[in-house]
Amino acid sequence: MTADLLSRYNYDEFVPAKFKPWMRFDESPPLGSKAPDFPLWTLEGAETSLAAVWSAHSYTVVEFGSFT
Amino acid sequence: MNAIADRYAEAGLGSIFLYTNEAHPGEYYPHLTSMQQKRRHAAALRDVLGVSRPILVDSLDGACHRAYGSMPNMTWIFNQAGTPIYKSDWTDSHSVENAIQYFLQVLERRRSQERMAPFRVERLDYRIQDQNQFYAGLERNGPKAVTEFRHAFRS
Repeated sequence: MTADLLSRYNYDEFVPAKFKPWMRFDESPPLGSKAPDFPLWTLEGAETSLAAVWSAHSYTVVEFGSFT
Repeated sequence: MNAIADRYAEAGLGSIFLYTNEAHPGEYYPHLTSMQQKRRHAAALRDVLGVSRPILVDSLDGACHRAYGSMPNMTWIFNQAGTPIYKSDWTDSHSVENAIQYFLQVLERRRSQERMAPFRVERLDYRIQDQNQFYAGLERNGPKAVTEFRHAFRS
């Protein structure tokens, strides 16, 4: 985790030069193939994973987003 | 989206909100610099905006979010094997519910011994654009968020 990546990903202002490079939906994993897993954390700080989430139900809806 | 999660929970649907970076940072909810701050903003999603689904937080560098295309408010549906079966670059509850109903029918058809093979389909869905609600959200983030959004799409 580099400081440069952290500051670019967590951009401090909504200007095209800062947010547009992250809009990469066309490069996202394809439907129908096993998806990549990643660690995730609860609000209390306990570690879990995306795989733990999707393996718990027949289907799982994952909405990505933030307060803003 | 909360209502959909509740409506289909008994049918075996899981539902989470995955917290990413701040799309429109403002004075009240600035850009993220620590995991503690990220968890605090995520808690506000529950306490202020009323998200009742379980909220999980991505790493500070957005490893998961970036790998899935890093759009600000996308929705994915996974099956139990970890295969994405629906992805949308924007979240719209009607589109998501439509997909859920279809996939639950697939489960039923499989249970009744229908033999089925998956195939890929692309479709352009439509969502309601509520500018007043959107700007109210930006104002909640702080005046900076409103100004920057107006500037970004002015020309």
